[in-house]
Amino acid sequence: MASVTVSNVRKTYGDVEVIHGIDLDIADGSFVVLLGPSGCGKSTLLRMIAGLETVTSGDIAIAGRRVNGVHPKDRNIAMVFQNYALYAHMNVKDNMSFSLKLAKRPQSEIDEKVGWAARILNLEPYLARYPRELSGGQRQRVAMGRAIVRDPAVFLFDEPLSNLDAKLRVQMRTEIKELHERLKTTTVYVTHDQIEAMTMADRIVILRDGIIEQIGSPLDVYDHPANLFVAEFIGSPAMNLLKGVVDGNSVRMDSGVVLPLPPERNPGQGRKVVYGVRPEHMGPGTGTGIKATVNVTEPTGPDLHIYADLGGEEICAITSERLTLSRGDTISFNPRLDRIHLFDAGTGKAIT
Amino acid sequence: MEQSVLHRTLRDIAAVLVVAIFMFPLFWWALTSIKPMYAIFNKDHVVVFDFVPTLINYAVVLLGWSRAEIAIESGSTFGVGGTSSYDSRQTILDSIIVSVGSTALTMVVAVLAAYALSRMTFRTRTGFLNWVLGQRFMPPIAIIVPLVLMYKAAGMRDTDNLFMGYVGLILIYALMNLPIAVLLMKSFFDDVPKDVDEAAMIDGATRWQTFRRIVLPMVRGGIAAAAVLCFIFAWTEFLLSLFLTTIIRTVPVKITTFVTSTGSEWGFISALGTAAVIPGFIFILLVQRHLVRGLTLGSLKE
Repeated sequence: MASVTVSNVRKTYGDVEVIHGIDLDIADGSFVVLLGPSGCGKSTLLRMIAGLETVTSGDIAIAGRRVNGVHPKDRNIAMVFQNYALYAHMNVKDNMSFSLKLAKRPQSEIDEKVGWAARILNLEPYLARYPRELSGGQRQRVAMGRAIVRDPAVFLFDEPLSNLDAKLRVQMRTEIKELHERLKTTTVYVTHDQIEAMTMADRIVILRDGIIEQIGSPLDVYDHPANLFVAEFIGSPAMNLLKGVVDGNSVRMDSGVVLPLPPERNPGQGRKVVYGVRPEHMGPGTGTGIKATVNVTEPTGPDLHIYADLGGEEICAITSERLTLSRGDTISFNPRLDRIHLFDAGTGKAIT
Repeated sequence: MEQSVLHRTLRDIAAVLVVAIFMFPLFWWALTSIKPMYAIFNKDHVVVFDFVPTLINYAVVLLGWSRAEIAIESGSTFGVGGTSSYDSRQTILDSIIVSVGSTALTMVVAVLAAYALSRMTFRTRTGFLNWVLGQRFMPPIAIIVPLVLMYKAAGMRDTDNLFMGYVGLILIYALMNLPIAVLLMKSFFDDVPKDVDEAAMIDGATRWQTFRRIVLPMVRGGIAAAAVLCFIFAWTEFLLSLFLTTIIRTVPVKITTFVTSTGSEWGFISALGTAAVIPGFIFILLVQRHLVRGLTLGSLKE
């Protein structure tokens, strides 16, 4: 077990800088998710921690030891790859014991560790099978088994669930989280799936174009997005973001629609802002409020997603009420004023 | 896919027909090899099956029977002058040594080179690949004269030393097969995802251990396929063998000596030709269990 420290790390390929000076402290035993759209540099950062990519400048330290020039095998890390990367010519047992054999551990210890990992991961019936004889979820578990038998200081996961079907993904998500609760090994997990990030992480690191946009606990980044990018990226359906100008105690959209502000918030008269409110805080109803026209409704079972036209912008609202609405109906919204987000239209930064 | 009985039957017939067309020359060749003289050459009609099979042709090329022995066995003089020059036992042995030796040498070099080309980045990598490919464009006849001079200077031609003869042919066949083997092996290595190498390295393997214990076993099928190709190319090579050695007569070269000033010995030619299929066949049998498709199956999500 160990902490991981990334200080002012940059990475360039040729003339292109893809990581622009990242600082990150990962506490011992924590579960940190690197989240971002594809191409944001999250995998590159993970691979630099693993030692699979060189660090152009800056330092990476594992357990307080600078590891920039250290070979991956000497970093005491384990990694689970997106496409599993199993050794196809070895059975499950050999796949999991390969690292221990390389380390020349005694056979009794190897058997014990592999048995332990197989028990945890429910792989005991499959130890003699080859990867080609396993299902996707089982293969992913073998890849995880290969990582945990080594008792590494840090686990690195590179989008481990994106090749699984939806149902299996949910199941494996829980399994990985349980595994972490059990082993308490420092974990760095890369994903582009914000649900995975929200459900598994102690802390989420949101990356875009090689810089960190926000670091925080899942609820922190959800409830207090630091900027427009985070606000848009986290949450599904995404937060409604409406451009407007502050006018007294409200925000007036170009179309003339007036959006209410809580009385204690006063960003400054005439300031151009983006008014953000999550779909579940829209407060749809049939009485008074901001009027909009229904486009589409999507019942999901527990909730109803309402897509409506508000002054030329499509907005989304979620309600658990059983409203009967059809296209063209007028609906009114009363957003929860304590859950309003305001962003500066120029910088995109949150206005607090 | 659902197929009608008619569809299936037609497909099967087509398959049998195609195989029959390709197999017919081989069949006719084998049939000729067990025909007596009168059945091979008959001025009245083509003899297909109405002959008494004989193994005399094989006895001459594989056992070195003399003319007297043939006469005793067949009760006729068989229309042959001396037979000792048709004894091909040494020829087959030479061909096996040269083909197996060159295949082994080719594969060792090619596998290492291909792994480096597939996995490592070095300055001349692209140029090296093109150069390898370029070797394949050049017909051997274009360089045969300088080669002969080089071989002569190196003492591998015009020598009584059988060992030097073997070394010479093994070297030139390895050179001849290297480009195709390297390119073939590179594509097989490219098919093994780099994640697997990286996983092995994180598991604690050195570069050599990764190569030896992880990647190499995963390209077994490719090695088998490339080795079969190299073996067949070496086994059937004619020109280089004809020019670069005087002490070794490989099978293709030997067979040309059966065309004599007094006529072509079709019986012996077909017997040696048929017999020459067998070592290649055995070689393929030996490696074919590795020639299974999808050896990397299961390593990755498809």
